Amino acid sequence: MNTAKLVRMANDIAANFDCGLDRATEVAGVVDHIGRFWSPYMLDAMARHMQSGDTGLSGLAEQALRELIEERKGQ
Amino acid sequence: MSQVYEAYRRPEDLGAPPSESATMVRLTIDGKTVTVPEGTMVIRAAALAGINIPKLCASDMLEPFGSCRLCLVEIEGARGLPASCTTEVADGMEVTTQNPRLADVRRNVMELYISDHPLDCLTCPTNGDCELQDMAGAVGLRDVRYGYAGENHLDAEKDESNPYFTFDPSKCIVCSRCVRACDEVQGTFALTIDGRGFDSKVAASQDQPFIDSECVSCGACVQACPTATLTETSLIEMGQPEHSVITTCAYCGVGCSFRAEMKGEEVVKMIPNKDGHANHGHSCVKGRFAFGYATHKDRITAPLIRESIGDPWREVSWEEAIGFAADRLKRIREKYGSNSIGGITSSRCTNEETYLVQKMVRSAFGNNNVDTCARVCHSPTGYGLKSTLGESAGTQAFDSVLKADVIMVIGANPTVAHPVFASQMKRRLREGARLIIVDPLQIDLVRSAHVEADCHLQLRPGTNVAIINALAHAVLSERLEDRPYIEDRCDLDAFEDWRRFILEERNSPEALAEVTGVPAEDVRAAARLYASGPNSAIYYGLGVSEHAQGSTMVMGIANLAMATGNLGREGVGVSPLRGQNNVQGACDMGSFPHELPGYRHISDAETRALFEREWGVELLPTPGFRIPNMFDAAIAGDFKGLYVQGEDMAQSDPDITHVSDALSALECLIVQDLFLTETAKFAHVFLPGSSFLEKNGTYTNAERRISPVRKVMKPLTGYEDWEVTQLLANAMGYPMNYGHAGEIMDEIARLTPTFSGVSYEKLDRLGSIQWPCNEKAEHGTPTMHVDTFVRGKGLFRLTPYVATQERSTSRYPLLLTTGRVLSQYNVGAQTRRTRNVQWHGEDILEIHPHDAEQRGIEQGDWVGLKSRAGDTVLRADITERVQPGVVYTTFHHPESGANVVTTDNSDWATNCPEYKVTAVQAYRVTRLSDWQLEFGEFTETQLEFLRKARTPADA
Repeated sequence: MNTAKLVRMANDIAANFDCGLDRATEVAGVVDHIGRFWSPYMLDAMARHMQSGDTGLSGLAEQALRELIEERKGQ
Repeated sequence: MSQVYEAYRRPEDLGAPPSESATMVRLTIDGKTVTVPEGTMVIRAAALAGINIPKLCASDMLEPFGSCRLCLVEIEGARGLPASCTTEVADGMEVTTQNPRLADVRRNVMELYISDHPLDCLTCPTNGDCELQDMAGAVGLRDVRYGYAGENHLDAEKDESNPYFTFDPSKCIVCSRCVRACDEVQGTFALTIDGRGFDSKVAASQDQPFIDSECVSCGACVQACPTATLTETSLIEMGQPEHSVITTCAYCGVGCSFRAEMKGEEVVKMIPNKDGHANHGHSCVKGRFAFGYATHKDRITAPLIRESIGDPWREVSWEEAIGFAADRLKRIREKYGSNSIGGITSSRCTNEETYLVQKMVRSAFGNNNVDTCARVCHSPTGYGLKSTLGESAGTQAFDSVLKADVIMVIGANPTVAHPVFASQMKRRLREGARLIIVDPLQIDLVRSAHVEADCHLQLRPGTNVAIINALAHAVLSERLEDRPYIEDRCDLDAFEDWRRFILEERNSPEALAEVTGVPAEDVRAAARLYASGPNSAIYYGLGVSEHAQGSTMVMGIANLAMATGNLGREGVGVSPLRGQNNVQGACDMGSFPHELPGYRHISDAETRALFEREWGVELLPTPGFRIPNMFDAAIAGDFKGLYVQGEDMAQSDPDITHVSDALSALECLIVQDLFLTETAKFAHVFLPGSSFLEKNGTYTNAERRISPVRKVMKPLTGYEDWEVTQLLANAMGYPMNYGHAGEIMDEIARLTPTFSGVSYEKLDRLGSIQWPCNEKAEHGTPTMHVDTFVRGKGLFRLTPYVATQERSTSRYPLLLTTGRVLSQYNVGAQTRRTRNVQWHGEDILEIHPHDAEQRGIEQGDWVGLKSRAGDTVLRADITERVQPGVVYTTFHHPESGANVVTTDNSDWATNCPEYKVTAVQAYRVTRLSDWQLEFGEFTETQLEFLRKARTPADA
C-alpha cells in the first residue's frame, strides 16, 4: 500500500476536523471518521508506517491514529 | 412485475391543463352535470365527463391557445361560439358541444385546413395515429369545395437535418403546438411562427435547418404535433407500433418514465409518459431518441475468456465462462487471502442488480470489498446529508421546485445534465422565481431565453466552501437566520458552535473575496435573497461533490438551509442532482464498503445479525476497500481479483494511467457490460450484459423515486444481469435461487426499513414510489424531514475552508474543470453508439480568449493539456463561457484522455475525486500526446482480439 497516500488522506481528514474546537473533540472526530471508513488493511499499513521516525502526519492526525491503533489492539 | 403491456393507443389528452383550485364549480355539458375545480377550461371539463370535443390546437400539456376554431361550443347566454379550450367553466354554465350548427362550423374549418394539406393518408407515416385525420373523421368531412389548384404549401421542402425527426412543412396546419411545446414544456424558445397570414410557417431559430438551430431535440414538438409535420425518423422507417410497455429511462438521475412503443420486440419510439411522476410527459434527446445502442453492432452477446490481456479473446459458453471466473477468484482467494478480491457495482444498473452484487461480495467473496461508481460522483452527498440531516438523500420531490420562490443552483448545469428537470425549473423561473447561480462557468441558466440569474457568483474552482461560509456569515451577521426554526428543529449546542465559527472574521464575504474571486457585496446580495425566500431551494450537482472538500460543502449547504428554515416542506430543501439514473439506488442498496443496504454501518451488530440470518453467512464487521483503495492495493500486489458490473473506471475515474496500472496488475478482472469498454480491454472474463430494455428491475432517481424497469424484449445474451451475478455466486459456492427480479426486491424490502412497503405489485399499482415507504408512509414520502429531521435534531457541522492542494502554479497556471454535454452521457458507451454523435463527435477544450491569445492558440487548434498526472491533446474552442485562468472539457470520448490529466486528489471524507480542479498548462501542439498514441495502439490490439473471438456470423 502506498503509505504516502495514506498519510495524505489522514492529514486531509485531520485538516477538516481542525476547526478551533477543543483538542479532545477534534481527535475524537478523526478517530471516529477513520475508524468508520478505513479498512483494517489500511490501518495495518498505517500502523507499520508509524513505527518509523518521521511519519509525515500532522499533529492531529498522528494523535488520532495512535489512539485508534491502540483502541484496535484492545479489541 | 407485470409487463403493463397494452395495445398501442395515443395517450389521452384532455385538451387543457388541470386547475389547482380547491373551489369546485358545477356546470352542465350536453345535459350532463359536471363538477370541476374553478379555472378549468370547458374542453377539459367535458373530457373528464367523457365528452370529447373535437380539437387540434388544444392539449393538456399546453396553455390554452384558441387558434384552430374546432373546439367551438354553444354556451347558454353567451354570444357567438366560444372556443372551449380558452373558456373557463362557471357555476351554472350550460354547454352544448354537438348540434347541427356546431357540426357545420367545424366541417367548414376542417375543409379549409384540408384544402392546403396533401391527401396522402395511405402512405403518410402517421397514418393510423394522426389527429388531423381523426378530426376529419369526427366532423364528417366528405368534400373539399375549394379544390387544390390555388396557392398552397404542398411543395414545401422537408427538413431532414435532425437525425431523429423530420420536419415536413407541407403537412403543417400552423396550430402552433410545436412552438408552444418548445416554449412552455421545454423552455428553449427555439421555434417560432415566421411570417403572417398565408405565409405563416414554423421556423427553427432564424429560419435555419433544425440541426443548426437552438433546438435541443427534446422531442416535445414532435410529440405535440397533431399531423405528420414533425415525425420520428424511426416511425417513418418502421410504421406504427402495436403495443406499449411503461418503463424507466436508463440515462440521468431524473429517471423519466417512458412508454416503449413496440412492434414485436423492436422499439419503434420512446414516448415520455404523461403519467410519469418525475417527468410529466417530457423528455430529452437522450431518453427519447438515443436508445439505438441497445441493438448496436458493437454489442457483445456471448461470453469471452482469455488467460491474459495479451491474448486474443475466446468465445465460450456461459457455463465455461462462469466456471473460469469462479475458479480464478477462488484460486486467488486461496493464494492471497480473502481480502484479495472484490466487486464494483454501477449506478447504470438496477437496484436488484447492485443489491445482488454487494450481497455476493459480502457473502460469497467473504469480505466487504464492494464499492460503486457513486464513489466518484455523489459519495460526499451521502456523507454530508447523513451527518447533518440524518439521511443520505435529497429532501424534495422534483415538483417541489414549482413552489420555490428563490432557487439556488450550485455546481450544476441542469439544462445539459438533467434537462427534463431543468425545463420544470425554467417554468418556475418564468413564473417569477428568483435565481442564484454559484458556478465558475457561465452555464446556460445564467442567461437564456426568458431566464436570467439575479446573482451569479462566478467563483474560482475549488473555493466552494469559502463561498458557502461567506453566505452563512452574511446571513448570521445580518441576523437573517430563522431563530424559531433553529430552536425548534436543531441541536442548539452545535448551532452555537457553528454560529461562533461562521461569525469569525475569516469567514466574512469581505475576507474571502480574495480567495473566491467574488465581490463581497455580491455574496451578501445572494445571501439576503436566499434568506428572504420565503421558500428557498438549493439544487446542486457534481460541482459541489467532486472537490477535495466535497463533503464539507454538502454539510455547508445543509447548514445554510437549516439556518434559514428552508427544510421540511415543499418549495425548499437541499436537492442533489444525481448524475446517473440509479446513483441514489446504488447507494441505497449497500454498495459502499462500510454500509449495508439502507445506510447502516457494517459495524452495527444488530443490523449485521439481520443480514446474517437472511443470508446464512457471517459478515465481517469492518469496512472493505473503496475503489481507489482497491487500485492502490492492486498496485501493491495485495488485491488480485475484481468483478465489475456495468462500470468503466478506465475511462471515468481520475488519473487513468494509475487506473490502467492497477487493472493490469489484476490476475482476474471480470467485466459485465454491453460493449468492450475501456475497462473490459483489461479483462480476463467478459460477461455480456443486458440493456435496460431487456430486463426487469427498478431504478431510484434523485428524488428517491423508485420506478419500474420492464423487460420489453428478450435479453440478447440469454440472461438478465442479475441472473449472471446469481450464476457466479452459485459457482463460487454461495447458493442463490431467485426466480425473478421481484423476489430480490422482496428481500430488499424485508431487510431495509425505508423500503419495507415496496413491492412490484405496489409499483404496478402506484406507478412509482418515493422512499421511505413503510407502515408510516404507505405511499412513500415526497418531502423529507417534515416535522423533525431523520436524525432527530438537525446538526450544524463546522466547515473550515481548507484550500485544495491542486492550485495554479507557474508550471501549471490554469485550472481545468470537467463536465458534461447534453447529447452525451457519462463515458459515452451508450450515446456514442447512437446518432447523438452528430452533436458531439469529440471532446473539446474550452479556453478563454485571453488565455488563448497569451498562448497563440486559435479556434480549432490542437492544444496540449498537461497536469502533474499526465497529458493529452484536445481541439480548442475559444469562449467566454469560461473565465480567464479556467479551462473546461468533457470526458465522453475515451481517446480525449480528459482523465489522463485529472489527478488522484480527492474529497477528504469519501475519496470522491476532485475532477473539478486540476492545475494544468495548455499549449499549441501539432500531434497527439504519447498517451493517445499508446491508447490507439492498445485499443486496436484489443479490438483485434475481439474480432478474432467472434464467429463470422457474429461479425
